[in-house]
Amino acid sequence: MPYIESNGLKFHVQVLGGGVDDSGAKRPKVVMLHGLVIDNLSSWFYTLGHPMAQQVDAHLVDLRGHGRTEIADSGYHVADHVADLLGLLEAWEIDEPIHFFGNSFGCVVGLALAKQHPEKVASLFLIEAHFSVPGWGEHMAGTLALAAFGLDEVAVREYLATEADRKTSRLAKRTEKLFFGTSLIEDLKTETPIDWLDEIQCPVFAIYGSESDILDRARELEAKVPHCTLEVVENASHSLLIENAALIKSRAFAWLNTHVGTDFVVEHVDVASREGALGTMGAPEAMEVLNQMAAENRHLLDERAVPVRRVV
Amino acid sequence: MAETPAPVTVTRESVLADLERILLEVVGDDLLMDGPLEMETSFSDDLQLESIEFVALAEELLNTYGEKVDFVTWMSGMELDQVVSLTAGQVVDFVVASLEA
Repeated sequence: MPYIESNGLKFHVQVLGGGVDDSGAKRPKVVMLHGLVIDNLSSWFYTLGHPMAQQVDAHLVDLRGHGRTEIADSGYHVADHVADLLGLLEAWEIDEPIHFFGNSFGCVVGLALAKQHPEKVASLFLIEAHFSVPGWGEHMAGTLALAAFGLDEVAVREYLATEADRKTSRLAKRTEKLFFGTSLIEDLKTETPIDWLDEIQCPVFAIYGSESDILDRARELEAKVPHCTLEVVENASHSLLIENAALIKSRAFAWLNTHVGTDFVVEHVDVASREGALGTMGAPEAMEVLNQMAAENRHLLDERAVPVRRVV
Repeated sequence: MAETPAPVTVTRESVLADLERILLEVVGDDLLMDGPLEMETSFSDDLQLESIEFVALAEELLNTYGEKVDFVTWMSGMELDQVVSLTAGQVVDFVVASLEA
């Protein structure tokens, strides 16, 4: 299976595409990073990865602690993820600027890479980008999933033992391990707020759902990043990539045609149509269960005034 | 890409056995606690396969049978709810048909 060592950890990766085009020229390199906690590279694999690989090389990564990559005890700061990514780029022998695609938390890694190594990033395509603002760590720690696990662990364990199917149970157990067995939450809490968005020099496309709980980030990106194009999709949520995969594909193809020089056919997609086809697979399903668990513990949340935010 | 001849000994039963071995490698021994893999076994309802495990399954099918068995392209032609409701028998038939093509 495709595993690569980087920064002392074994990463599960998928590289889609042939390396060279028909004329023997190297193909443009795209790197795709997923969201936090219950997401993994499959959300790219089943949406954009393969269609895109017709004309570019798409490099998909399971972030540390996610998917089939090892769960490290520590090293969950954004800077650690950047170091992981730099190691992977070296292993892949990519020395030209990449076109970065991020979903949710994955976006902050791309932004940090573009800030620290502008020579390594040609463009950023950001879906529902998370990035650290004052109080971010506390918000992240107050997610539905954490609230569910943290506030009534016994009930959650009981639920997993009696109610959850294998898929949900495994996802939830992995989430639990990530929360309680690693420094993830502590690292998020100590993340420094970003104050350098105005230093991002490459072109940036940011897309958010109008119902997203982090729409404030959209406005901040648009206001501060010099070359940022923002689109807000009506009636869409933070799960934009999963819910509106066809729309995202059409925007991604248009972006690559403009910034990479590909000639993808860009299909018109009705922004009002949600597919929801991935709703039965993996992360979205887990989120639903975690939401349910959190709802059952809502009175505890209210008592402690924990802000309810989503992280994926 | 290199043209590799289809193994002449492939049967539905041998592919099912391969598929069982691959799934155990990808997912682990607890996968088949309710019994051996059968043609009717559903990846979603019976095995509760996670999406990331489908990724690994595709990879291992490629490693086992070569590029003639393009599981990912086959899957990409389906709606995702079709993918998750696939049975072992459907994958077996796809593998056999690909190798015989």
